[in-house]
Amino acid sequence: MFLLAMRSIRHRPGRFLATLLSSFLGAAIIMTFNSMHDTAARDGVDPTSAETLSTAAGVVGGYGTLLVFFAVASTLTVNVRQRAAELELLRCSGATPAQLKRMVVGEAVVVALVGAALAIGPAMLGGQALLEVFQDSGQVAESVDHSFGPIALMTGIDITLLASAGAAFLAVRRATRGHERRGGARKFLAYAALLSGAASVSATFVFSATDAALMAPPAYGAILLSVGFALMAPRLLEGVLDRLPLSGASGWLAVRNLRERAGQLAGILMSLILFTAVATATLTMQAVESDAVEASGLTKSIDAKNLETLNFTVVGIIVVFVCVMLVNSLYAATSYRAREFGQQRLAGATPGQVLGTVGAETLILTVTGVLFGMVAALAGIVPFTLVRTDGVLPGEAYGIGAAVAAIAAAVTLGTSLVTARRMLRTPAVGAVAVAS
Amino acid sequence: MFRAGSRRTHDKGPAAEALRLVKVTKTYGAHDSAVTALDGVTLGLGRGTFTAVMGPSGSGKTTLLHCAAGLDRPDSGIVRVDGTELTGGGEAELTKFRRGRIGFVFQQYNLLQTLTVAQNTVLPLKLAGQRVDRRRAKEVLTSVGLGDRLGHRPGQLSGGQRQRVAIARALVTEPRVIFADEPTGALDTRSARDVLRLLQQAVRLHGRTVVMVTHDPVAASYADSVLFLADGQLAGRLDAPTADAVAERLAHLGDHVATGV
Ligand SMILES: Nc1ncnc2c1ncn2[C@@H]1O[C@H](COP(=O)(O)OP(=O)(O)OP(=O)(O)O)[C@@H](O)[C@H]1O
Ligand SMILES: [Mg+2]
Repeated sequence: MFLLAMRSIRHRPGRFLATLLSSFLGAAIIMTFNSMHDTAARDGVDPTSAETLSTAAGVVGGYGTLLVFFAVASTLTVNVRQRAAELELLRCSGATPAQLKRMVVGEAVVVALVGAALAIGPAMLGGQALLEVFQDSGQVAESVDHSFGPIALMTGIDITLLASAGAAFLAVRRATRGHERRGGARKFLAYAALLSGAASVSATFVFSATDAALMAPPAYGAILLSVGFALMAPRLLEGVLDRLPLSGASGWLAVRNLRERAGQLAGILMSLILFTAVATATLTMQAVESDAVEASGLTKSIDAKNLETLNFTVVGIIVVFVCVMLVNSLYAATSYRAREFGQQRLAGATPGQVLGTVGAETLILTVTGVLFGMVAALAGIVPFTLVRTDGVLPGEAYGIGAAVAAIAAAVTLGTSLVTARRMLRTPAVGAVAVAS
Repeated sequence: MFRAGSRRTHDKGPAAEALRLVKVTKTYGAHDSAVTALDGVTLGLGRGTFTAVMGPSGSGKTTLLHCAAGLDRPDSGIVRVDGTELTGGGEAELTKFRRGRIGFVFQQYNLLQTLTVAQNTVLPLKLAGQRVDRRRAKEVLTSVGLGDRLGHRPGQLSGGQRQRVAIARALVTEPRVIFADEPTGALDTRSARDVLRLLQQAVRLHGRTVVMVTHDPVAASYADSVLFLADGQLAGRLDAPTADAVAERLAHLGDHVATGV
């Protein structure tokens, strides 16, 4: 079965591109931030520099890691779900469920290892660059040299591997079990994520306004809440669909497709909710933090400016990462639908109607994702603002929220429509003929 | 765009000739690996006829049907369906034309997995922007013997049942011309007979034109005439076919091409 896994990777490298990209980027981000731990642990680093580096690695690296874990897992889930037909075929040709599991998990492990290995070089450069940003902003002494050591390497490889193999295992188990009722495990995980998210958000109140790690609990909390929402995605989506008055052939098809594929869309919805929540929460909290620092007048304004730049750089990296993952999983999910689009066209749908259907589906997805992402973000922002300042909801939240929603809509609609358009270039009879 | 053969405006009833192909050629691939699937095929089929197309595997039958139905574009030659020539135009225009005039039953069914049997059946009407009620779906599906499966998914049906859903979907728009690619290929004798009777009925009762690809001489004997295809060229025609005569003719198909009949 491992041989089969290797062969299937060699024969269809394209289908693994999405998962490879996600493990590569995920490992690169984790390694980049965690190399700050390695750097801090070097001999001769002064305590202040070491503390700054450890805090950055601990806070951002910490929730960054959590984020990478779920992002990689969601891409893998999309990938395995798409291959249900192929797995079914293998099962019918005599592969036992255990063999299928070994094959799919084997593939995931190989791809994750390759992705992590490829990430080492870029992560070294990235860590170097990140350290320079710290040094330029005066947070870390100029004399400190970057070090890429065991912590960066181990966390990068382990987390990517764990997320890939774990998600592949869960997804293939669902796929090989056939059509069964939704497991209780998913529900349990969803509630667990929501509860720990709520706990993490509440923990914000334990910290004092000036704690360096104050941003960590609400950020973790927002991420966990979005994961909880994402796990409940199928049910949330059905709730939204029940309240939609859509007319026209495209809308009609879109609603039916979403209903049927609600389970499969959980992965995409997870990326979407994560993107909205993380981008809105971290950027708003950073803005609140900057305002608070400015108001206190403690630091010289030039230093405050540097610090702000630094923090936005760090948050920006994370946000861009989630955005890339969103594009990645949407592209993967849409490009797998060439055959379905062909069948719609053969049944009498014009290319415009196919695009209309994809557009309507994406719009419903985006609205659902952004809605729940915003709820998760607010759950993080409000406690942070309460503790850090005396307000409840900072004025920046509206502008940032609107911008994030606009970007989310543009990215999801853009990706799925452009991908679908490319799929439509193949003649319909050719598109249905390819055995996927 | 489409050029009307006889300057017809919107709809003046069916043309006398349901299908005409003139020197239609189609080649797949390029250079060394090029395969000529259709090599100058010229034929005409009258309205209200039932024609079977036969020939060895790879002789170009599916390609012929795809080109005739506007699903594929021939490299050269003219295709005229119900008096209207299919030339140029975008996919959207072709699709809109197909909706009104052409029904296609695919060898691989091509039903949408996300829709129920009833939804699949009325999908072409929905896409054409017509209002459809459950009654219409039930009517058509009852006529193919699936009146009790409206809410099933294609995945829950047998091959023969899926084939009948595909036929119901092709019939629902009341097209002038129906193309069917091996509609009985996956069926047992009895279901095959049901399907063939359905196609026959479409011709006899509703005046539609049916073109059916088949490998089975018995299926071909339901048709009014049989066209033989070999190496992308027409290799003869048999009217009022019997199963035996068709089988006999098939056996000697190679000779016909050689002698240029
Ligand atoms: N998309 C394609 N690309 C390349 N070659 C093709 C393609 N489709 C068909 N061909 C070739 O064109 C020829 C005719 O194919 P076609 O599918 O029309 O045969 P057929 O008569 O329908 O055969 P069968 O009875 O097996 O269905 C074959 O040699 C085939 O290999
Ligand atoms: Mg064929």
